[in-house]
Amino acid sequence: MKKRQGWLFFIIFLLTLSVYLLINYPLQLGLDLQGGSQLTLQIIKEEGKVTKDELDAVNSVIDRRVNNLGVSESNLQTLGGDQLILELPGEQNPLVASRVLGKTALLEFRTQKAGTSTNLKTLQLQRLNIKEIIDQYSSSEKSQYDDNFLNIIQDDLKEIEQELNYSTTSNDLYGKLIEIKKYVDKEITNLFIKTDLTGKDLINAGRRQEQTNSNWEVLLTFSNSGGDKFADITKSIAGTNQLLAIILDGESISEASVGNQFANTGITGGSATISGNFSAENARELEVQLKGGSLPLPIEIVETNTIGALLGSKNILKSLYAAIIGLIFVGIFMIFNYRILGFVSVLSLVLYGFFNLALYSLIPVTLTLPGISGLILSIGMAVDANILIFERIREELYDGNTLTRSIDSGFQRANSSIVDGHITTLLSCFVLFLLGTNFVKGFAATLGIGVLISLFTSLNCSKTILRFFTTYQSLRQKNLYLPKNNFSN
Amino acid sequence: MKYNLELIKNKKKIISFSTVLILLSLLGILYSTFNTSYNKPINLGMDFVGGNELRIERFCEAECSNLSPDSVLENLREISKNKNVLNNIKLQFQNNNKLISIRTPYLSIEESNNLITNLDNIIGPLNYESKDSRLIGPKLGKRLLTNCVTSLLVSLFAISLYITIRFDKKYALFALLALFHDLLIVFGIFSWLGIILSVEVNSLFAVSLLTIAGYSVNDTVVIFDRIRENLKSKKEGYNETIQLSVNESFRRTTFTSITTLIPLLSIILFGSYSLFWFSLALSLGIIVGSYSSILLAPSLLLKD
Repeated sequence: MKKRQGWLFFIIFLLTLSVYLLINYPLQLGLDLQGGSQLTLQIIKEEGKVTKDELDAVNSVIDRRVNNLGVSESNLQTLGGDQLILELPGEQNPLVASRVLGKTALLEFRTQKAGTSTNLKTLQLQRLNIKEIIDQYSSSEKSQYDDNFLNIIQDDLKEIEQELNYSTTSNDLYGKLIEIKKYVDKEITNLFIKTDLTGKDLINAGRRQEQTNSNWEVLLTFSNSGGDKFADITKSIAGTNQLLAIILDGESISEASVGNQFANTGITGGSATISGNFSAENARELEVQLKGGSLPLPIEIVETNTIGALLGSKNILKSLYAAIIGLIFVGIFMIFNYRILGFVSVLSLVLYGFFNLALYSLIPVTLTLPGISGLILSIGMAVDANILIFERIREELYDGNTLTRSIDSGFQRANSSIVDGHITTLLSCFVLFLLGTNFVKGFAATLGIGVLISLFTSLNCSKTILRFFTTYQSLRQKNLYLPKNNFSN
Repeated sequence: MKYNLELIKNKKKIISFSTVLILLSLLGILYSTFNTSYNKPINLGMDFVGGNELRIERFCEAECSNLSPDSVLENLREISKNKNVLNNIKLQFQNNNKLISIRTPYLSIEESNNLITNLDNIIGPLNYESKDSRLIGPKLGKRLLTNCVTSLLVSLFAISLYITIRFDKKYALFALLALFHDLLIVFGIFSWLGIILSVEVNSLFAVSLLTIAGYSVNDTVVIFDRIRENLKSKKEGYNETIQLSVNESFRRTTFTSITTLIPLLSIILFGSYSLFWFSLALSLGIIVGSYSSILLAPSLLLKD
């Protein structure tokens, strides 16, 4: 008896601790419950596996970019060996994030090959033409969008194709326009030779509005060695008709000549400006990308989940109500069938609920919709354990044993079945947690934690509470444990 | 209350009933593989094949006006730049025309945003707070599928191993037979649901199969435990002892199933839609699982 009393105090202590934890460390709700966006980024590597170092490097670049974007309360995690998950809570549009994150942002400075001036001029002209057509095409209103308009665009496109001696293979008009744009960009880039000055030589990037018009420009600040390299490069082409190109992810965003006055020293001072007709938004995006550095490996956004805040709160309320209604019915069912024993199981289930939630806030487990369903199912397991025990106690009572003895052997004889059942479920949870996706992991985590706690509450808490009850003489009558009419058996 | 299930008398009936269920499931799986547009044993949802799913509510004054999906799609086609986006698009109105749900093949975030803007122009204003969208790239989908199948196989293997160690070979074999019986029937039901109602399965379905596996084995183990215990005391003959054990554990098995079904039913009835098919699969699994634990697995143990 003494030992049981010790357990009782221990359980009360655990309950107090749980309440304390829940008050001080509130539960973390997943995005599907509070609303927000989740992007899954896949690191692309052609050959071999992504190494730990590469994963960390990508992670830190993405982290810097996200921070520079000023997204509040974002959360970046790695998943498996080659994926990252970015969570943006609330009403933040994932579009900007996806544009900034998806780019490799490899910045290069290249010098023009000698004797390619005519070639470059043709390409630059066509690039301008194509841009105009695309702008026209995407800004046109539905009313203008008739056959006549499409014919004009198609004719323009054909002219450009002839000029460039290239024929597009895409099926639709928009695809063709994008294809030829890419072709021209590539051809222009090919006219320039790589130098050893890249985005790695930057220490900062900024942006400002140009004085002459409303366009924006991006300012680059080089490190000491970068500044030296920049001076050398500009010196080598100063006064010639070779241009300096600033190339981002293989696309030239600016081509400029270097004046004769720099022939002796090159452009010194360790800074440069890219003025490529940026809008305020574009300039900011480039700034963020350059500040964060280029990605060591390209990434692709393979999954985007956006859940409106409205829907999120609806989800949580609905599932919460459903769970509570279900549990109340389970409680009624148990008390109806098992009387005092049922009441004991309701108490131990309440403890079970508190311990579970307290562990969620302690570990912490982020509560998602699949997580809640895992919790509800684990409650099923906990109830099952109680039923197994109570059925045994009933049988012992029917056989004419005393209450104390029946309770003892009931717990003892149900033990092996309960442990077996819990272990098989734990095995599934373990595998799910190891192999599953993020979504599945949430389910496995709550179900697994629940099953572990259920071992404690059903085998120990139920027993302790029951023992406590049976110390009162008035609670020891057999008919409080069995429906009367069954005594004749 | 004593229960008296006549297991010995009804052995043949039970086994033929299960055989019919299994054949029906196999039929559904075969039909689904060879006679549907998707040519898969089960209708894989966008979790596994990639795609874009969008749900958004309209702002309506009193009641939302009735719109035909076809005319909205017609308008969308006219307004959209990239015509490819609109091949294979599905659009539905639900919840008294308030909720719009759209399915398309995979789109970039940009394209998906354009789609909503265009939609807003046609049938707006839309309530952006209610927007719920999921974009899954085809590569990720394939990965998810392999991932789910591996998880299933590995954990089935782990469970089988545990049971083989825990019980004699015969018990283990029949417990596993009952387990595969349950999984096959739930799978078959969803194959048929896919054929008849175009119900798709996503990663939650794989989760439900795994949970069913855990439950089914648990139920069977409890009854087998009882049989073993009673056989040791050997009051009656072998077959009679098995029947007695089943009747003794009958209350426990049905009560457990009922207490697990209650919360699931309440999720089906009142919970969020995203958990509907998941809860249904689990409920079916628990019902089939209880049947196989009470009637099928012990019947297989009976001697002729």
